[in-house]
Amino acid sequence: MLKYIAKRVLVTIPVLIGIVFLIFVMLSVVPGDPLTVMMGERVKVDVIERLSVTMHLNDPWYVRFGWYLWDALHGDFGTSYKLSRSVSSLIANAFPKTLLLAVTAAVLSWIIGIPAGILSAVKKNSLVDHLFMGVALCGVSIPAFSVGMLLQNVFNGILPVSGFASPRHLILPAMVLGWNAAGTIARLTRSSLLEVLEDDYIRTARAKGLAPLPVILGHALKNSLLPVITMMAIQISSLLSGAVITETLFSIPGIGRLTVDAINGRDMPLLQGTVIFTTAVIIAGNLVADILYCVVDPRIRVEGGK
Amino acid sequence: MKKYLSFFLAGVMAAAMLGGCGSAFDDGSSPTSAAGDSSAAQTQAAGQGETAQAPAGNTVQQGDNMIHIPSKNEFPTVDCQKNTEFYVVPLNIYDRLVECEMVDGVATIVPSLASTWDISDDGLVYTFHLRDDVTFHNGIKFTADDVVYTIERMMDPATAAMNTDFFSMIKGANAMLEGEADGVEGVKALDDYTVEITLEVPFGPFLANLATPSCSIYSREATEAAGDQFGIDPAVTVGTGPFKMADWVLNDRITLVRYDDYFKGPAKADGLQIIQVPDENTQKLMYENGELDVVDLSSSNSQLPYFMGNDAYKDNLVTGPEAGQYFYAFNQDMKPMDDVRVRKAISMAIDRQTILDQMYNGAGHVVNSMLPDGILGSYDAQEIPYDPEGARALLAEAGYGDGCELEIWQMTDNPDALAINQVVQSMLNEVGFKVSIKQIDEAAYYAERKEGRIGMTRAVWWGDFNDPDNFLYTFFTQRNTKARSINHKNTDVYQWLEDARAMIDEDERMALYQKIDTTMVQEEAAVFPLFQMDHIVVVQDWVKGFEVPWNGWTDTSYYKVSIER
Repeated sequence: MLKYIAKRVLVTIPVLIGIVFLIFVMLSVVPGDPLTVMMGERVKVDVIERLSVTMHLNDPWYVRFGWYLWDALHGDFGTSYKLSRSVSSLIANAFPKTLLLAVTAAVLSWIIGIPAGILSAVKKNSLVDHLFMGVALCGVSIPAFSVGMLLQNVFNGILPVSGFASPRHLILPAMVLGWNAAGTIARLTRSSLLEVLEDDYIRTARAKGLAPLPVILGHALKNSLLPVITMMAIQISSLLSGAVITETLFSIPGIGRLTVDAINGRDMPLLQGTVIFTTAVIIAGNLVADILYCVVDPRIRVEGGK
Repeated sequence: MKKYLSFFLAGVMAAAMLGGCGSAFDDGSSPTSAAGDSSAAQTQAAGQGETAQAPAGNTVQQGDNMIHIPSKNEFPTVDCQKNTEFYVVPLNIYDRLVECEMVDGVATIVPSLASTWDISDDGLVYTFHLRDDVTFHNGIKFTADDVVYTIERMMDPATAAMNTDFFSMIKGANAMLEGEADGVEGVKALDDYTVEITLEVPFGPFLANLATPSCSIYSREATEAAGDQFGIDPAVTVGTGPFKMADWVLNDRITLVRYDDYFKGPAKADGLQIIQVPDENTQKLMYENGELDVVDLSSSNSQLPYFMGNDAYKDNLVTGPEAGQYFYAFNQDMKPMDDVRVRKAISMAIDRQTILDQMYNGAGHVVNSMLPDGILGSYDAQEIPYDPEGARALLAEAGYGDGCELEIWQMTDNPDALAINQVVQSMLNEVGFKVSIKQIDEAAYYAERKEGRIGMTRAVWWGDFNDPDNFLYTFFTQRNTKARSINHKNTDVYQWLEDARAMIDEDERMALYQKIDTTMVQEEAAVFPLFQMDHIVVVQDWVKGFEVPWNGWTDTSYYKVSIER
């Protein structure tokens, strides 16, 4: 298994380089340089001309790419054009907030979603099932900004609607993200469990007169959780890349907002930094999912993790 | 067993992360000022022996004596030599030699760091007599040398300043910018409190120009010591203004506290806190629960109907005219706008008064010139008529009797622009145009516009300083007309704009500007002025002394504002 993990980790390096390269090329082609964007309405042509030379904005992309890669290998991810601060410090400040929000929302969604899914599967087609699945469907379908604005309007004055100054500020945004995540997890748990409950070996166990539902549930549950685990890891990954809409609505200075601001401002160094970082996070998340898979399912472990 | 172990471990990891992430909260105990030197920021701000302290933690404490205002975008830096748009912090932590203020309803240049000044008869030499009782936030006295430093810093190529055009008319300034000189020849400290500035050629708007935030005066000693952290690290960013920087949590909030030794007397409020709230609806909610004291509705204008339509807020609205206007710019390098008849037809087909009344609650007035009311040099321009039949006739005369295809360009994600463009589209289609609206993203829009390549577009311009030069030079010189995608070809106007800058006789100068305006707007219809809007701000009952500034900007000084609960 260690070999498997090592192989997977090594593969990420060319993936990261490839992504950096792609972004570089795309941003060279797309119109709009950072200076023009920064000056906006108050554009001064001669200033732009002068500063473009100073900032090496007119150098060919492969020259800039080469320098960028060289600096990155030394841990220097450049300085944001717009915010004049080191990219690594900007990400280091923004990421913990997104991390906290993501983990809270994820854990919340698992605590609520998995039991809800189990209950729905066990009491299939009952009122409980329909109720839970209805709520789950809403969570999955209603867009984040609608849920967010609704919660803001309802709880304004009772819970903080903006900023990130205390644990109380986490509640509403985590609810927004958590509802969506919980909905997905609940539906997946339910369908996965239902599928396993139909399997032959469960029927056999029942036929043999094996102990009542809870025990069978213990058998069935273990086997049905595989896709759920995968989904949990993927959810954490996607939450960690930053829920832009939620962060904007609730004024949370996380990495989602940082990335979008970088895109809008053509802030190349910052954009490169956030994209690399986010890619690394997603790859890590998927890697964790794969490892957990190995751990949980002996068949995969025995076959050497293929 | 192993499976349960792994789940247990995962749970423990999650708990550990949560615990560790407690520090992610901006509770003020570990301010994340990006320089990383958080402790220095706190001690520096707490020094100087003044009484105003940053509030404990970054939570808004309702009932405190701080003014809380929102901002939708983070500021790149508060060094106003390097930023062209975000001036609320510079207006509160720095001063300029002179200021522009409303005195008896007229925008007037008033003394600030300079108490009096003399101008030579040829308009070339300005001698400023400076106050001797001004100190910077770190206690250093302000002297004439700081003025010299400020100007030279702006023109120093190493600074990479974006606002060099505010000092470039000074003799020797461009030479320094080009690297041909080590200093600016035209600025000299005659003694500690007298500074003499000599211009290359006379420049009528020079004084008005010095009142803009980009001309804020810096301390040589402190700014040099701060290096590239000036404007970024609160601990080293000092000015002479009524407030000083205490803390800056990036993308979250900036906190300014009162500077008790301010030369005009200490401000009434304890401080000013600018909170990043990118969503306008969230700003409204925070206003309603008391977390925000002042919300600028002209900037967060999706909330305008809510506040204007609600009687409960009638007494909370503060209005003032904006020294600027909305207009449509035509691109004479693109068909069909290369034909003046088509441009005039467009102008005649649009019913501006109805748009103003229906879409903007009538909060403003229609204008017919590029010189808005309240600006030096504004005059009663001839009304551009609303005449759809006349428009149709002109269109036919220009050869487009069968229909005329026209593109209106705008930025994506701009619902205001879209709303008015759609109305204009339907008005134009009535007289025989076939209008399509093209949306491109912000960066592309500015990039294309700079190259002179965008189509008809709604634009807005608010004055930097109180002078017609700022309104006309910006759009109609040879270089700028391309950068604004107007592309007019009138070489006389190019020349007149340069001539006017050097004129000494004010009446003659104003007359020339009016001629330029009449030529561009009335005769050539290079642009189509729409309206001058009222700037509307909603303030809480406990906020006293708030007025919209002379230019109708969102960014303003809060020196005279107090909180009285």
